[in-house]
Order: sequence, then structure tokens, then C-alpha cells
Amino acid sequence: MLPIVLLSVFGIVVLFLGFSKSKNILLPATLLFLLVTLIANFVDWNHQYLYFNDMLWGNNASMVFSGIVLLSAFFVVALTRGFEQEGEAAQPAEYYGIMLFSLVGAIMMISYENLIILFVGVEILSVSIYILTGSDKRNLRSNEAALKYFLMGAFATGIMLFGMALMYGATGSFVISDISEIIGTRAWNEQSQLLYAGLLMLLVGLLFKVSAAPFHFWTPDVYDGAPTIFTAYMSTIVKTAGFAALYRLLAGSLASLQDYWFATLATITVLTLLAGNVTAVYQTSFKRMLAYSSISHAGYLLIALTSLTAKSQSSILFYSLAYSLSTVSAFGVLILVSQQQASNNYDAFNGLAKKNPFLAFVLAVSMLSLAGIPLTAGFMGKLFVFTDAAQKGTIWLLVVAILASAIGIYYYFRVLIAAYFKEGDLATIRIAPFYKVVLIIVTTLTIVLGLFPDLVLQLV
Amino acid sequence: MEFIDRIFSTQSLFWFLSFLTILSALMVVTSKSPVYSVLYLILTFFCLSGHYIILNAQFLAFVNIIVYAGAIMVLFLFVIMFLNMKEDEAETSPTLIRTLATGTAIVLGVTLVLAFSTVKVAAFNPMAFDSQVGMVKNLGSVLFREYLLPFELASVLFLIAMVGAVMLGRREAGDRHF
Repeated sequence: MLPIVLLSVFGIVVLFLGFSKSKNILLPATLLFLLVTLIANFVDWNHQYLYFNDMLWGNNASMVFSGIVLLSAFFVVALTRGFEQEGEAAQPAEYYGIMLFSLVGAIMMISYENLIILFVGVEILSVSIYILTGSDKRNLRSNEAALKYFLMGAFATGIMLFGMALMYGATGSFVISDISEIIGTRAWNEQSQLLYAGLLMLLVGLLFKVSAAPFHFWTPDVYDGAPTIFTAYMSTIVKTAGFAALYRLLAGSLASLQDYWFATLATITVLTLLAGNVTAVYQTSFKRMLAYSSISHAGYLLIALTSLTAKSQSSILFYSLAYSLSTVSAFGVLILVSQQQASNNYDAFNGLAKKNPFLAFVLAVSMLSLAGIPLTAGFMGKLFVFTDAAQKGTIWLLVVAILASAIGIYYYFRVLIAAYFKEGDLATIRIAPFYKVVLIIVTTLTIVLGLFPDLVLQLV
Repeated sequence: MEFIDRIFSTQSLFWFLSFLTILSALMVVTSKSPVYSVLYLILTFFCLSGHYIILNAQFLAFVNIIVYAGAIMVLFLFVIMFLNMKEDEAETSPTLIRTLATGTAIVLGVTLVLAFSTVKVAAFNPMAFDSQVGMVKNLGSVLFREYLLPFELASVLFLIAMVGAVMLGRREAGDRHF
């Protein structure tokens, strides 16, 4: 509750700070606000709470999820460098304000108890992302991406809302613990058919937001068209919040119906793994490859969700953290390189290691983590997720996932080959000290979590 | 007299309104001219408001007319007239996509109809019936008591939309003047 209030107020404060002549204050102020919120987020540690007539719910796990979202937001905001590179057209106060407001939506999605809060949260987060996607007004690709995302997202939200209405019709409640209770009193074949129809539509709406196949077609165009910094923002925050919301829905109220939704979700998982990984191989643009990689990581997270064992929550949590960290550093390197080369393609990275060994190393750690190579956080994340599937006994799902990660190694290593073994004329890239510090922290965290995953796991 | 009573009974009114709603909703989609589509959409909203009145929710009915039929649809008409769309400009998507879309829609429709057909609606219980549920007084107390938090947080959503609209719509140096 406290982070929601703080973020709303801070967002307004940032908007007012935009009136001042000097724009230099915006970046430190936003970072400070995020840090304060991050600390305030853990005030209720070890308490379980319910706020406002069963609207918001929270415990340690939801606080750690919010913490991941706030931490990723902190890193992404730190990589914006105050939007100085964007020139006169940039409106940093509005960008930072919308980013802070969007986190309100993310936290609502993580700690909702009433489906209405989920709906408002999804809307707050999505509308902010639509705006940020189209923020590069003079770029036609950015405009197209924003419009495409907005139209499709509006449809998905409509379907989701219809699903909630049907679930309300079947159970008479929006509160997910009540829904779970009502479902528990009826046998499998006595459930109202409206519940099943509503559940499917609600799932479609949420799976669209985390870009699971076959609802993923917007992802490459939107991720490619949006300004790179906002691509980093949406690929980390929307994904973490979306999976927290999905987990809360499935574990909190629909766990007893697992037999029913298992087949659907398992099919979607396989489709997502294949669609993401196979299509990523054919990309020539690094940014577009990262979009497909985000689809494939949605697939791995779906494995933990589909299995829904006692450990699923901590696996999803760890995986989201590992994925967010590696993605932030991958985009951090991409922003610098694409600025120098005016291109997002793999070729732009040719010979990166010769004059920029630091950036090449950051890129290498991030790619190894995304591919799931041992000693990185990504490997541990995949290990936990695969253990869940093994516990549930779905070996065929495990086989598909391992094949998919084998394909993943191919396209993640392509950029490393370009950076380390190809000849290129990339000059030394000047990195601002603060930017460098952020990249160092993120890379260190990726390695440390790969060696000592218990640091996070023991929290929940 | 009895005949007239039956014609104007709530049930026959419901069927008539529902027929009109679905018909006008279909016309929204099938009309060639966007202006006609919008006008049919307004008709659809009026019919829905009729449903709200049958359900004894007068406040919702009027809000629906004022906000949707009034404000938003007039805005729609303005935009369409500004754009000066020609009738033949509507793009047709490839046959494959159209076939797939139709198939998906049919599957979804059949699923929903089957789901609805199995639902047993509880019989009308006069004891539990409260005619005042939809009145503005009750609505207000529910909105500001139980649903206070989502109500307040919706303001964050509107603030974002407002900031975004100003940010994206603001004219910049060198932009085209209309």
C-alpha cells in the first residue's frame, strides 16, 4: 500500500519538477524517489496484510516481486541518462512521471486480492507503456508500434474484462480467496460452465500482456519500434508483473481446477517456447532478437506456472529477477552501440571487444545468463523452473524446454561471435561513470545470483 | 387491456430491446460508411441504456447516454468528419486471415453459447429482491466505501492518459500547421 501511495505522489512531484528551467534535477530526483519507494516497499516485512475491504493483499513474496519491479525500474531509469541524447524533442519530466505512475499499476497487479484491482492495474501499466512506446513522435516506426500495441492491447483488455464478468457470474465474487472457496465447495463437473469460459478469457487477456504464443504477434514490432530504453522498460517490468498476476490468479483461486487448465496452459507453453526460439534464429537485428527472446523467456516462466508446485512461486520470482537483470544489461550495451553505429543489427557489434572490452564483457555475461550457461543467474533460474516441471512429472514439457534452450544458445552466441571474433571498426565508446556503475552492479548481481541463488530464495 | 399489458410487459420489452441492440450492433460492423457506423453505435448505446432502465439502474442508464452516446460518440463523429474518409478506402485483409478470423469467431461463439446454455439461473426470489440496488444513493455508498481504493486509483490511470495525450499531441517547433 505504501509504495502505491508514494509512487503516485512522486509521479506528480516529478511532473511539477519539469517546470523548472534546469532539467538536470529530474534524473537524480526520480532515482531518489525510486530508492525511497524500494525501501518503503519492505516496511511490512514478515506481515501478511489485507487493505481496503479485501482489495490489496501482501506478504513477503509479493513484496519481493514488487522489489524486483522497482529495482529493474531503478536500473532502467539510471540508463536513461536524463534523455540528453534525445535532444530538444524529449520531454523527460513526462517520461519519468509516466514511468513512476506505471509502477503503481505493476504493484497493483502483483498484490491484488480483488479482480477489479487487477483490471485497473493492468490498464495503468498498459496505457503508460502505449504512451512510452509512441514517445518518439517523429519516428514513424515508433508511431506504428504504439498504435498497433494500443489497438491490440485494448482488445485483449476487453476480453479479459469479459472473462472477469463471467467469473463473477459463476461465483458471485471478485475476491480471489472467495472464488477459491466457492470453487472448492463444488465438484469438478458441478462447476458452472461460465467459470471455465471466464477463466479462459481472463487467461487470454493476461497471456497477451506477457506475450505468450499465440498472442505474441505484437511483440516483435512493438519492441523493435519503441525507443530502446522503453523496450528495456517494458520487457522487464510488464513481464515480471504479468507473471506475478498470473501466478496469484492460478495459485490463489484456481489451483483446485489445475486438471482443467493444465492442458490449455501446457499447449500455450510449448507454442511459446517454439515460436520464440525458432523465429529468433532468423533475425538479423539484435533488438528484434531480444524481442523474440522475451517471448521464449515467457515460455520458460510458463513452465513453472503450468506445473504449479509448492516451489513454483520462488522459481518464477528468481527467474524474473535473473531475466530482468540480464535484459537490462543487454539493452544497456545495445543503447551505447546503436548510438555509435546507428544500427541495431548484429553487424553493429563487430569488433566490439577490441576497443571496448568492458562493454563486451557485460554483453557476454548477459547473453550467457539469457542462454542459461552455468555460473550465471539465468542458469539457476532455468534449473529451478525445470525442477518444477520434473516434480510435476511432465517430462515431455521438459524435453521441449531443453531443446528450446539449445536453440537459444545459437542465437545468443551470434552477437558474442560478432563482438569477439569478427573484424570491425568500432571506435572506443565513451561511457558516463554512472552508466558504467549501473552496468557493473547489474553484471555483478547476475554472477553473484548464479553462484549463490539462496540469497534471494531464502527471502520467500 | 390485457393484450396491451402483454405487449408492454417487461419481458416483451426486453426481447424487443435485445433484438434492436443486436441488429444495430450488426449494422455498426456491416455499414460501408463510417458515419453510419457511428450513428448505429449511438443507437446501440441507447438500447443498452434501455436495458439498464429495465434492470432498475437509472443512474447507469443516464451516465451511459451522457458519457458514451453524448460525449465520446460526438467526438468520434468529429474525428471521422475531419479525416474525410472515402467509402472505398477500407482495406480488405487477405483471404487467409479473414478465414482464420471467421473460424476463430465461430469457435468462440459456439463455446460461449454452449457455456451459457448449461447455466441454470436461480428462480426469482421476491424476498431477496431490493428494488433500490441500482439507485444512485446505493451506488454511491458502494463506490465510496467498498470500492474506494480502485475508485481512487482509477484517477492515476486518467492522469497518465492526460499526461500522455498532452505529451503526444503537443505541437513542436517545425511541425505542420493545420
